[in-house]
Amino acid sequence: MADPVDEESGEAGPLDLTPQASRPQRRARNPFSVVVLLLVVAGIVFVLLRTLGDASLFFYEVDEAVSVRAELGSERFRVVGTPLPGLVETRLDGQAAVVFTLCVADVLADVAHLGDPAELFQPGVPVVLQGFWVSGEPPGIGSLPSAAEDGWYLRTDHMVVKHDNDYRGADAELESCGVGS
Amino acid sequence: MVDTTTSTGSPGSRLLGLTTLVGLAGLILFAFVLTEPDVRLHPTTGEEFGQFDAVRLLYLHVPMAVLTYVAFLTCAVASAGYLLKRGVWWDVTAYASAEVGTVLCGLVLVTGSIWGRPVWNTWWEWGDVRLMTTLVLFLLFSGYLALRRTPAEPQRQARRAAIVALVAVLDIPLINRSVEWWENRTLHQQSTLAELKIEDLTLFTLMLGFVVFGLVFAWLMLHRFRVGWLEHAQAGHEVALAIAERHAEMETLDVDEAIGQTGGGK
Repeated sequence: MADPVDEESGEAGPLDLTPQASRPQRRARNPFSVVVLLLVVAGIVFVLLRTLGDASLFFYEVDEAVSVRAELGSERFRVVGTPLPGLVETRLDGQAAVVFTLCVADVLADVAHLGDPAELFQPGVPVVLQGFWVSGEPPGIGSLPSAAEDGWYLRTDHMVVKHDNDYRGADAELESCGVGS
Repeated sequence: MVDTTTSTGSPGSRLLGLTTLVGLAGLILFAFVLTEPDVRLHPTTGEEFGQFDAVRLLYLHVPMAVLTYVAFLTCAVASAGYLLKRGVWWDVTAYASAEVGTVLCGLVLVTGSIWGRPVWNTWWEWGDVRLMTTLVLFLLFSGYLALRRTPAEPQRQARRAAIVALVAVLDIPLINRSVEWWENRTLHQQSTLAELKIEDLTLFTLMLGFVVFGLVFAWLMLHRFRVGWLEHAQAGHEVALAIAERHAEMETLDVDEAIGQTGGGK
């Protein structure tokens, strides 16, 4: 190994063995761990944004959706309620649709759901629907046994079933709704 | 003193493992064969309704969710213990429970999604507050595990991880109470057990699920803790070996020769 060169004279000088403070050692980064950590942070931010972005999509009960109908206008929202007995399968704007009446307590709202309903969809089992208010009457409403027929209906395209917390079989209790409930 | 143990098994853990396997087999038998599907007759329409066979998944999903809480709460307690006592035992326990909890939390999300497709009519519902807060919990503890894999001085890493765990665990009360606090923002039902709306074999099978997944948790924790302890002992052993090697080198090294090799001392 060559001796270090003196900068002024250009000659090789003695090696400086004076103890010196060691330079802080740079720790090797594990790129995989850092990428995973960044992905996790990005995931949390994404979930929070999605959740906050969906903040308007809480479920209105049918009576609430009816009372704020003017404020909602054509805005999409979610509504929860129980379908009353009597379903009409029809077509609306060239698509298959199911027309029925949704209720909470004694408040009713007519619904035209476009597309396939949920597998477990049936009268008496609460559903959460996503859609908007439309002025007018859906086709086939005259065949419903207890339609609201108030000049408005909910046009929905997303349906999920909301089950209850009762697992007692035949002893299970159900909340009823509809006129006279 | 270097721990020379090379296995995480012991007669006790093997017995626990065997009991767990038998319990799992029993739980599967009860959940998927002996219990009845959830079928009810609607009092108004007279039609059958309910969750049908999909309800069987709940005998796994619900106990896994509860054991996820247990795992992450264990992690939080152990993390607090580490911050107070600075003992390796606390740190290894926190790491082990976080890892087991993350696996269970992932399984909760998967089984819930599989159950949700036939019952709710959706694999996933963005905006459902319980789903979102559970996903956030999973991501937080995935971040915790990633943090533990980043290179850092062990004490500093343990301290940082403990703080993350204590923050992340605050999500658990949110998940648990979400169905009460934000009733109109979740498809999840309210508590069945609190209102005792479950009975007979259905109740027994759910309770069996809690016991069996409790055993699964205990068995996984035991082995993961021992792995962590061995890793710690191994790291200490490597440091001791390195120091011993340096001492041996110093004793045999010719100092003048060493200076000559570096080019100094002319």
